[in-house]
Amino acid sequence: MQPTTDLLQGTLDLLILQTLAAGPMHGWGVAQRIQQVSKDVLQIGQGSLYPALHRLEYKGWIRADWGASENNRRAKFYSLTATGRRQLQAELKSWDRLSDAIGLVLGRIPEGA
Amino acid sequence: MLSEWLTRIRFFFVRRKPDELDEELCFHVEQSVERNVAAGMTAEEARREAMIEFGGVERAREQSFAQRPGWWLGTVEQDVRYALRGFRRNWVFTVAVIATLMVGIGATTAVFSVVDRILFRPLPYAHDDRLVSVGLVQPMQRQEFTLGGFFFEWRDNQKPFEALTFETGYGDCNLTETNPMHLHCISVAQDFLPTLGVTPVAGRNFTKEEDVPNGPRVVVITDGLWLSRFDRDPALVGKTVNLDGHATQIVGVLPRDFEMPRLQEVDILRPAQIDIAEQHTVNSGIGLPLWAFARLKPGIGLAEAKAEMEPLFLHTREWIPAELRKDFHLQVRSIRDLQMADVYRVAWVLLGAVLTVLAIACANVASLFSARGVAREKEMAVRSALGASRGRLLRQTLTEAVLLAIGGTAAGCVLAEILLRGFISIGPTGMPFLASARLDLRITLFMVVLAMVCATIFGILPALEIPKARALAARQARTATQARLRRVLVVGQIGLCVVLLSGASLLVRSFSNLERQSLGMQTRNVITVHVPLNWERYPAGTRDFYLRAEAAFRQLPGVTAVGISNSLPPGGPHAGSRYSEFEVEGKPPTPAGAGGSVAWRQVTPDYFRVLRIPIVEGANFSEEERGLNQHLAILSKDLAARFFPEGNAVGRHVMHEMFNPYRQAGPVYTVVGVAGMVKNGGLAGEDEPEFYELQTNGQSEYWDNHEVFLLESSLPAAALAPWIHARVAQLDPTAPVEMDTMEQVVSKLADRPRFETALLGFFACCGLLMAVIGLYGVIAFVATQRTQEIGVRMALGATRGNILRLIAGEGVRLIVIGGVLGLGASLVSARLLTSLLFHVSARDPWTYVGVVVVLGVVALAATLIPARAAMKVEPVVALRYE
Repeated sequence: MQPTTDLLQGTLDLLILQTLAAGPMHGWGVAQRIQQVSKDVLQIGQGSLYPALHRLEYKGWIRADWGASENNRRAKFYSLTATGRRQLQAELKSWDRLSDAIGLVLGRIPEGA
Repeated sequence: MLSEWLTRIRFFFVRRKPDELDEELCFHVEQSVERNVAAGMTAEEARREAMIEFGGVERAREQSFAQRPGWWLGTVEQDVRYALRGFRRNWVFTVAVIATLMVGIGATTAVFSVVDRILFRPLPYAHDDRLVSVGLVQPMQRQEFTLGGFFFEWRDNQKPFEALTFETGYGDCNLTETNPMHLHCISVAQDFLPTLGVTPVAGRNFTKEEDVPNGPRVVVITDGLWLSRFDRDPALVGKTVNLDGHATQIVGVLPRDFEMPRLQEVDILRPAQIDIAEQHTVNSGIGLPLWAFARLKPGIGLAEAKAEMEPLFLHTREWIPAELRKDFHLQVRSIRDLQMADVYRVAWVLLGAVLTVLAIACANVASLFSARGVAREKEMAVRSALGASRGRLLRQTLTEAVLLAIGGTAAGCVLAEILLRGFISIGPTGMPFLASARLDLRITLFMVVLAMVCATIFGILPALEIPKARALAARQARTATQARLRRVLVVGQIGLCVVLLSGASLLVRSFSNLERQSLGMQTRNVITVHVPLNWERYPAGTRDFYLRAEAAFRQLPGVTAVGISNSLPPGGPHAGSRYSEFEVEGKPPTPAGAGGSVAWRQVTPDYFRVLRIPIVEGANFSEEERGLNQHLAILSKDLAARFFPEGNAVGRHVMHEMFNPYRQAGPVYTVVGVAGMVKNGGLAGEDEPEFYELQTNGQSEYWDNHEVFLLESSLPAAALAPWIHARVAQLDPTAPVEMDTMEQVVSKLADRPRFETALLGFFACCGLLMAVIGLYGVIAFVATQRTQEIGVRMALGATRGNILRLIAGEGVRLIVIGGVLGLGASLVSARLLTSLLFHVSARDPWTYVGVVVVLGVVALAATLIPARAAMKVEPVVALRYE
């Protein structure tokens, strides 16, 4: 059993957008990257990764292009669109607000810090 | 935002290929495998780990697909395909539902389209709800009219109306220019159009200055004439045309939808230019006949208006000779009532019948869906267990219901169009606006929505109950309540069906009485030729023309006798007189107004010969007597019996009084014969005693301008027609000729009852059919439900007869309850039909016995078929059932 960490609704989208902000990447890369960066805490189930990628693509926030992977295989690379970039900024802002608020409620951050 | 929407819309239309996603997922797995191999696993182990890590491939794929905008459309497609497959498998159910909806929607739409034109048609007048017709009625004239001697006093003193105006009835005029034209001209008061709220579309109404005696010749023409004669010439207004030889100025054009309140044909309106003072001297001092219309003041009702007019009416009634006075009454009714007087009842009966059919149809759809819902409970439970969400199941059921509704509606619209054409083709000519009835889009739409709602509700009801897991095992609990609902529906259907059937059989009996009654005359081989003449062309009278035409007709091949009459039995309009105006020689006069009325016909001797009317006493008029200048008469049998109760009418004398304006002696008639009874009040109407006067060749002024020839001919009318037209044209090229066979004349009178009977009969058959389908469905269903029980019973020793009784008993109970309720309801509703019935009582016991027998037999058959099937079940099979 892998450690399950239920992601907050909508957080997965934010993580994907943030990951893609670094540059175009294929689906597997996105999953690996999130796992690495989170030090294996966040394991993205593929069952939710691909629906999320497709959803973002349909929304026009990310774009998909076929390209060659590191080992020269045909792979689908996702990259942020301009709309996606704007959306990422907006989502980051609201994430900050939310996590600050939750931190306050939980008393983890001293007031005025 | 905009670009986001554009992207969505693009993806809505551009469908991605499924293998792209497969490739992407495949790549993902391969990457994991490579990583695992790099970490030192064997190839097999690496792949296994990668697959475990990935999780459900299928689920990921489906969910990715589900992200696509408009993805749900695909599921609709899926649902539709699934539903269609289901329909094919269960085609009896499908056909039954579609047929039921088709008949329900088709019949209702067609009848509503007709009835809407009749009952709810907007009149082409402003605020038509406040327009009324005001006038006198008396036993011989039931359509209200008024007289110049009264009208102006009413107009000047009335209070309940904003305005009171009149028209002068029918009128003819001729456009005497190149291409002369015969037109309908009606004279109206100056405020006629403003009172109706009609404004000319071009030009203007008459002015007050023009509506004075001997005023200028100005007219307003209808749109129809503007189009047919003047090609909608925009510069026509102000131009002068020649009307009856006088230069006449056209000052206005009426709107396209204009019609007279009494629906007469009209081409031209002209100012009445009535001399008010003269109205107390002309026509025996009571003035010219007028037809009055008024606009009620806001807030005043019909009854109020009538009450307020009553004193004025009583005051003016003093002008009528005292002995007739009490026959006259005031009548105030809406223009709609005036137009639709006797069509109302038919329209309501039709509406009632079709609503009953609709109710039966709805009950049928409901019970079919409910039966299917129960039968599919298991299927639904299985699908639910396999992971279909409740919403998905609901959507599936809804899709099926909507598909069926669409099918039923489409078929219904086709049926409605066919029915409507049928109605129009068999519709009686006297039914206003029937011919112009079209499938009403609003009504069709309403019906479509109704069908959808109906199907949705009935389709969803069973699906709303969560398919419980227990439904997989046992399904008794719900079945019981649903079965009860279906039984109630069947009882209702049978009840309504009895109502329809009994109404239809009453009309059928009435119609056959009407058709079978003796007319008292011969109609075969009799051709009628109606030749109306224009008085202006015959200043010296029409006698010579008609005598010459008679002589010409006698020489036609195949014609053996030619009679002339000024009117035709049995239904045409005819002249009449009051019974009390006759005075029998040697007897005291009858009190004025007593005795009812007497039909009066002026005929030649061949009238009796052609129609084979027997002379039961005395003799027919002779050809020689036509040349003598005597007043001779033949009486109908009942008139002779009333004049001369002691018998021996022949040779006696009867004096007919005249009012001019007061009683004075008129001509004395010598009775030469007594004739058999002939129907003369229409097919269903009350017959009047008849007085036949010999039409002599003497004074020309005794001849009418609308005489009818009756030809006894061995040749068919079509063969004679060219000759007859040629002979009349030789005498007067402008005289129109209308030919008919006597059989057509009589058959036309039966049009209305035939129409009513055919329609109600049709609805009753539809109702019966649907009720039987419903009954059959329920019994068959109950029988299947109880298969296991039947097996147990038979295993325990029940005979096949017991089983038959068990199942059929259920049906019989429903039939009896429904039948009794229906009989009660039809006894009440049949009273509505009373005025449409001829020689049949609305409570005719034989009709009801017949209905009960027919319904009982048909319904029993519908019960016995499934009951017999249940009886034949093999106990072993039944026990293993399920």
